[in-house]
Amino acid sequence: MLNILGTIGGNVLSLPGILGLALGMMTRRLWLGAALGALVGLIETMLFAGWQFAHVEMLELLIALVVGVCAGSLGCLIRLKGATA
Amino acid sequence: MADSPENRGWIRRLWSWIWTPAVAFSSGFLILAGFLAGILFWGGFHWTMELTNTEEFCVSCHTMETNLGEYRETIHYNNHSGVRAICSDCHVPHEWNHKIKAKIMAVKDVYHELAGTISTPEKYEAHRLSMAAAVWKKMKASDSRECRNCHNFDYMDFTLQETRAASEHQRAIDNNMTCIDCHQGIAHSLPPNYLETYQEITEALTPETKGLAHHQIAENGEAIRSFLISDAD
Repeated sequence: MLNILGTIGGNVLSLPGILGLALGMMTRRLWLGAALGALVGLIETMLFAGWQFAHVEMLELLIALVVGVCAGSLGCLIRLKGATA
Repeated sequence: MADSPENRGWIRRLWSWIWTPAVAFSSGFLILAGFLAGILFWGGFHWTMELTNTEEFCVSCHTMETNLGEYRETIHYNNHSGVRAICSDCHVPHEWNHKIKAKIMAVKDVYHELAGTISTPEKYEAHRLSMAAAVWKKMKASDSRECRNCHNFDYMDFTLQETRAASEHQRAIDNNMTCIDCHQGIAHSLPPNYLETYQEITEALTPETKGLAHHQIAENGEAIRSFLISDAD
């Protein structure tokens, strides 16, 4: 449980959370924001695994993707709510 | 008039203020202000987290006194070169993502300090094997990532090492072993019968070595430790 919480926190404060949110804020299309967030999650996991899929832990990849999707979607919602034009 | 701005609570007024376009500030001002605020926040956050990596912070809890005493007897604390590895060098990853994860997981240490789980020498000894096993499991799974921040097979000159050390390091390379396979107890005392537990960890993490795990652990761990500790004296 602590391992999962730690992984979620690590991703929220790392590229999927921060860059995912920033990329999501660049679009009004929810699916695109979510996709960009997921892409960041995938790239970050691969980066930390030395670009070797064999070194990727499935749980870590899954959490990075989910955090990326959530952050990208949140960024998109912020754009929809906060931009007047 | 019930919904007039004056009658709203402060949370609703704040929410409304956040989402109302700014008319008093230019876009350039807002971007610069946001950028500066970001630097201040991130710098402060990172600086605060680095403070939690200091030895003073790590051993400020009563329950860490035993670990500290053991560590001070080892080569990582006192040696001829004057280089010291402190708690965070071995227990906190350098990479951001792994570091945040380790920091969040370390919250359990605060809980156990408050709960008094290892508050007496007897309790400490009762939990020594499980605490050590948790660290070994992490190190085995990460290929001793934190050891490799300072030590690397590629940088070792085997001709300068003792014959035994050179042959053991060559064996480690040949058998795809990792640092912790031989160097358990390098900084803290070992519980009795620790090798059985370490063998179980090895077999759980690398099922293909089941029954062959003795190839993946030290053949003369006691000799390695006694050599390194006597070298610290």
